[in-house]
Amino acid sequence: MPVFTEILTATPDGRVIMRRSFLLFPLAALLMLLATPFAARAQIKMEIIGPGSRLSAIAVSPLKNLGGDDQHGVSRQFDSILSRDLELSGYFRLISPKAFIEDAQASGYDLGQFNFADWRSINADFLVKGAVKVDGTQVQVTALLFDVAQQRRMMGKSFTGQLSEVPKMARRFADALLQAATGVQGPFDSRLAFVSTRGGRFKEIYLQSIDGRGLFRLTDNPTINLFPAFDRKGEVLYLSYKTMMPALYLANPAERREVRIESKRGKMVGGAISADGQLIAAAIEHNGATNLFLLDRDGHELRELTDTGGINVNPAFSSDGRMLAFTSDRSGTPQIYLMTVGGGVPRRVTYKGNYNTTPSISPDGKYIAYESRDGGHFDIWIVGTDGSDPINLTNGVGSNQYPAWSPDGRYIAFSSTRSGRSHIYLLQVATEKVISALTEGNGNDSCPAWSWWLGE
Amino acid sequence: MIPVPRGRGGWGSSANGALRFVALMLVCAAFAASGCSSSVKKTPGLGAGTGGGAGLGESSITGNKGSLAQFQKGQLGGGEGGPLSDIHFAFNQYTIEPQDDSVLKSNAQWLEAHPNTHVQVEGHCDERGSEEYNIALGAKRAQAAKDYLVTLGITPSRISTISYGKELPLCTEQTEECWSRNRRDHFVVTQ
Repeated sequence: MPVFTEILTATPDGRVIMRRSFLLFPLAALLMLLATPFAARAQIKMEIIGPGSRLSAIAVSPLKNLGGDDQHGVSRQFDSILSRDLELSGYFRLISPKAFIEDAQASGYDLGQFNFADWRSINADFLVKGAVKVDGTQVQVTALLFDVAQQRRMMGKSFTGQLSEVPKMARRFADALLQAATGVQGPFDSRLAFVSTRGGRFKEIYLQSIDGRGLFRLTDNPTINLFPAFDRKGEVLYLSYKTMMPALYLANPAERREVRIESKRGKMVGGAISADGQLIAAAIEHNGATNLFLLDRDGHELRELTDTGGINVNPAFSSDGRMLAFTSDRSGTPQIYLMTVGGGVPRRVTYKGNYNTTPSISPDGKYIAYESRDGGHFDIWIVGTDGSDPINLTNGVGSNQYPAWSPDGRYIAFSSTRSGRSHIYLLQVATEKVISALTEGNGNDSCPAWSWWLGE
Repeated sequence: MIPVPRGRGGWGSSANGALRFVALMLVCAAFAASGCSSSVKKTPGLGAGTGGGAGLGESSITGNKGSLAQFQKGQLGGGEGGPLSDIHFAFNQYTIEPQDDSVLKSNAQWLEAHPNTHVQVEGHCDERGSEEYNIALGAKRAQAAKDYLVTLGITPSRISTISYGKELPLCTEQTEECWSRNRRDHFVVTQ
C-alpha cells in the first residue's frame, strides 16, 4: 500500500470564488464575479462563464531527480498523467515544455530555490514543480503548486509508494491541485466503467482510469454484459446474460470474485447499487411487467418499490442512498420519476419530451441528468430534482446517451456517436462544454459509470 | 493510445473464451439426446463467489437455436430460422398487429401438432431506444405473444419468454425496413 503524506495544505486565500451552488448558472456566476472585488492573483474564475472564455495557463515542470530517476521515467509519467488530468478538468491550458526557460534539474523546486521570472515571462498563471527519488521499486515524489503572479506556494504533497503507484500519485495531486485552485477536489483519482465491443462482437465490461490508462477487462463471456454501476468500495454491479439468462452480478475487481444476484420474482432487467454497497435496486420482469425492488447486497428482497403493469427501469440512487430516480412509462411515455427509497408515491420530474430515460442523480442531490430522445437521436439533459429548468447539454451533436456524474459533481461522462463510432466523452457541466473523448478504438463504447474517489 | 487487453487483467482468459464456447458446443452436440441442449451449464470461473455466485468467465448454453446462440456463432444476420415464424411490432409498441393474427395461429397449430415441444418467445427491439428500457419493452412483446398463444389453447407451461432488448439485431442499417425487421418476437422450439 502506498503511503500518502500531505506535507502542506492549501492556503485559504488561494481559493477562488466558484461555489457548487451556482455551478449550473453561468449568469449567476458572472454577476457574482462582477460584484466581487478580486486581486490580480492567479485564480480560476473566467472559465465558469462559458465556452470560449480564457483558461488559466499552467506549467508542469519536470520533477527534479534527487536520485534513481536518471532517465526521468518517473518524472515523465507523473507529468504526463497530471497534465492530461489538468487538461480534462477544463480549467487549464498547459504551457508546452518547449517554452520552458528553466532547467528543472539545475534549479531547485521550492520557494527561494528557483526564479519566478522564468515562469512569469512565459505567461504562466500557475506552476507545478517537484522532486523524485527512486530506490529500487520504492519511489518518493514531492510536488508543489505555485501562484506565479503572487510568487506564493499554494499547496504541496509528498507521496511514497511503489513505482507502479506513480499514476495514482499524479491523479491524487491533480485532485488536490483542483481543490487548491477551484475550491473543490478534482475527480481524477477514480475509475470509469463502460461497455465495449472492442474485444469482438460481444459487449463486455471494462474499467480504466479517467485519463485513459490501466484498461482492465472485467467480464469475459461471449454473451451480453450491460449497465456497470459502482459503490464506494469500487465493487461493480452489472447485468449479464452469461448463463444465457439475464442476472445481476456484484463483482469485486480487486479480489477477483463476484456473486450472482437472482430473484424469484422474475428476470433481471437492470440494477443500481447504493454508494455504501448495502442496497441494490433491481428492475425485475414478471409476466411482461418490469418493476423495481429493493434488495440487500446478497439479493434478499427488502421491499417492493413500484407496482405497475408497465415498465419501471433505470434505477439510480442518490449519493446518500435515500432517493431513487427511475424511468417509468406509467404516463404513457417513458419519463423520469423520483421516489424515496423508504417508500411513498413517485413524483414525476420530466415533462418536456416524450422519451426520457436513464436518470443519474448529481452527488449533491440537486440535479438529475438523463437522456432525451428527439427525432432520431438522444441528447443529455439536466433538470432540477424538483423538475425545474431542464437544459440540453449536448444539442444534437451525434446521439448522446447514458449520463454518469463524476464524484465531485462537475462533470458528466456519457456515450456519443459524434465522431462516428460510439465512445465515452467528458462534459463540463458549468460550461456545457464537451472537453474530450475518454475512450477510443475500434469498438463501440457505451453505458459509462464513474466510480467514487478511490482513496488510499 | 488505449491498449486493447489480451488476456491481461481480465478474469478467465479472453483467448480461452472462444475455445471454451466451442468445446461446450461440442459437448452439447454429443449429449443433445440426453437433454444437454436445454440445460444450464457452468464452466469453472476464477474465484467463484459466495452465496451461490457464478465465477467470472463462465458461459453456458441453453440450446443452439436461440438468437443469442446464433449471435455467438456469428450467424444471426442470416435470420434465425426454425419452424415458427416471427411477428413484428410498431416502434415502442407491444400490441399484436392484426396482420400477425395468422402467423400466431399457424405457430399455435404447429405447437398443437408437436405436443412434446416447448417454445421460448424472444422479444427484440430496434436500435433507437435506450438499452434497459428496451429490455423491458422486449419482455412486453414476448409476453404479448405468449398471452395470445395461451388464448389459442397452448398450455402456458410450454411457453417461456426472454427479452434481448436491442442487443441482438438482425441487421444494422439505419432504415425503417431494417428497424421493423428487428422489432420482433422470435419463437425458438426448445425441445
